Amino acid sequence: MVGGARTLTERFNVVTTSIRAKATTVSQLARPLRRSPRRRRPTTRAPYWFVAPSVAMLLVFGILPVLVAAIVSLTNMDIGDLASPTHAHFIGLQNYRQLFGDSAFWQALRNTVLFVAVGVPVIMVISLAIALGLSRSESRLYRALRALYFLPAITAIVAISLIWGYLYNSQFGVLNYLLSTVGVSPVEWLGNSNLGRASVAAVGIWRATGLDIIIFLAAIMGVPQEYSEAAAIDGAGRWRTTFSVTIPLIRYALFFVAVTTVINWLQFFDEAFVLNQGRPNPATTSLSLYIYQEGFKFNQFGFASAGSVALFALIAAVTALQLRLRKSDD
Amino acid sequence: MGDEGKLFPALVKQFTASTGIKVKVESIPWDNVNDKLTTAVASGNGPDVLQVGLSNLATFKAAGALKDLTSELPKYPHLASDNFVSSLTNEKLNPDGHVVNVPWVADTRVLFYRSDLLTKAGIAAPPSTWTDLHADAVKLAAAGGKGKYGYYIPQWDQALPNIFTWQAGGEIQDSSGKVTFASAAAKTATDFYESFYADKLVPTNADFDQTQGFVSGAAPMLVSGPYLEKAINDAAPQLKGKWSVAPLPAGQSNISVVAGSSLGVWKNSKNLEADLQLLDYLDTPSTQVAWFKAANELPSTKSAFDDPALTADPMVAVYAKQLGNANLLPLAPKWGAISAAQLKALNNVALQHANEAKELATLNSTVANLQK
Repeated sequence: MVGGARTLTERFNVVTTSIRAKATTVSQLARPLRRSPRRRRPTTRAPYWFVAPSVAMLLVFGILPVLVAAIVSLTNMDIGDLASPTHAHFIGLQNYRQLFGDSAFWQALRNTVLFVAVGVPVIMVISLAIALGLSRSESRLYRALRALYFLPAITAIVAISLIWGYLYNSQFGVLNYLLSTVGVSPVEWLGNSNLGRASVAAVGIWRATGLDIIIFLAAIMGVPQEYSEAAAIDGAGRWRTTFSVTIPLIRYALFFVAVTTVINWLQFFDEAFVLNQGRPNPATTSLSLYIYQEGFKFNQFGFASAGSVALFALIAAVTALQLRLRKSDD
Repeated sequence: MGDEGKLFPALVKQFTASTGIKVKVESIPWDNVNDKLTTAVASGNGPDVLQVGLSNLATFKAAGALKDLTSELPKYPHLASDNFVSSLTNEKLNPDGHVVNVPWVADTRVLFYRSDLLTKAGIAAPPSTWTDLHADAVKLAAAGGKGKYGYYIPQWDQALPNIFTWQAGGEIQDSSGKVTFASAAAKTATDFYESFYADKLVPTNADFDQTQGFVSGAAPMLVSGPYLEKAINDAAPQLKGKWSVAPLPAGQSNISVVAGSSLGVWKNSKNLEADLQLLDYLDTPSTQVAWFKAANELPSTKSAFDDPALTADPMVAVYAKQLGNANLLPLAPKWGAISAAQLKALNNVALQHANEAKELATLNSTVANLQK
């Protein structure tokens, strides 16, 4: 099933990339461009040639798939129509009616919103705290710690699922063994319950902090020493410097991490999929997983595309909102 | 397919030696089959010969991925339908008359039981009826104490609920081939299925591991296939002699499920004759025996079961007997989605204490909608 997961994740990554790319473009546009002098006009085409490859990539791998998905979502395409797409029929908005009429879809949406609402703030607070801690020193120990904290981000999801599976397993898991030594009876860590939701989110949080810590750390390191020195001369303590100098100066990193983490968690998939070993678990089924389980797994491409378009619209709306909030902040 | 793929090149060595036809084997994990299929169908490029798990067969057929071999078959004696075990013939795999695939390996479900634990609980022989199965499960759960159960139901197993329906004397497909769970037998089967949950005889955690559970004694009886025999022997060789297999306990009958894999030819393969020669070789009884020895997968040809390598194994005798009394799960294109809906309904009743009648009504309307 991991293969299936991959295609879906890839598919969504394309969407994410396009949104991320959009985010950078918008921020670049916000900066004033220096006009080239009139007499050097012949060279003004050069920038377009430089951006052409990425625009082409964006069109082919970003915009085009979204358009194709939008069209497919209006058809009843299944595996039989794949070889000869002309056999598929347009069925109007029926896929969307089926989608919005399915209680499992709303449950998945609720789960996703919950994952984002709880997961993203927790990730940001933890990552920022660890990054601030790690930035205190350049010693060998701290450099080793940096590598250590980055590990979850670069560990294969299969390895992660195996290890966490052994921790969480209700029959022979380490956690239940530890509980049993203090006389507590076994707990179903990955059940259809709030606990199951929390267990899956915990792994997601643990995995996501790795990259965010590095981004925060780089931003903190980039804050010129003069500011903190000036603050020290003014008599500001460590906490005061952190909250009034460092954090405001890494605003852009905070914003970037917030946007990317929200997008990633709106597409929450891997952890819920692998920890439940592909079994459906209503408590942890996110929108992406719902689309995979109801659509792609059974080759109902029309229905799956409708779900994908709905998810895309949600992500686009949330990201646009974030960008707008950011603009008013500047 | 799966781990056995590594053993396959050795199996076809002799084929290459005698025919001069080279076989390039590509092994893909079971989990990736659907991805591979969709890519191959969309691009039009597939392998020459392919193994199709019976659970994927309907999808492959719907995709039009397999070549119609009906007119070619008479030339290849080992591919004739009456060579195969009665539950897994060309006709059973291709009810519409167009033979696009032939049997390869067979698989069925039997009752696995821990004889040592049954004896300890005062049970002389493995249960042979539904009543005994339930009663023995009660005894075993009581004898085992905390954390031990009498039986095990895999929460996402497609076969078990439908095996119960067949055993209750019902069918899950109507005369037009549509899947339906509306029969009285299906209701009886659901009641029986849920009774194990209601009486707390089975584990409720979804991550329960059947091999571990059987070895540890947490689930001293369960329904599974030959692959579990291998898994138990690998995980706990010391358990030998303390467990065995028996035919399924009977309701009105003791019908089981037949599963396994078939072989087909990709729709636009350019080497049809060589492809069919390979199929013929693979369904030759001696090849089937060689494959059983190598991969421990049951043959689909009848005469392979008469080989000493198989008759020497008392467990194979049980599998062979059960294979003679087994049905295929529906080969309907929507079966995957239908089965998922069925298990969801059953699990809602079992684990979330939902109302059984209500869940069944919802299930039946979902199933009807899926087949509109």
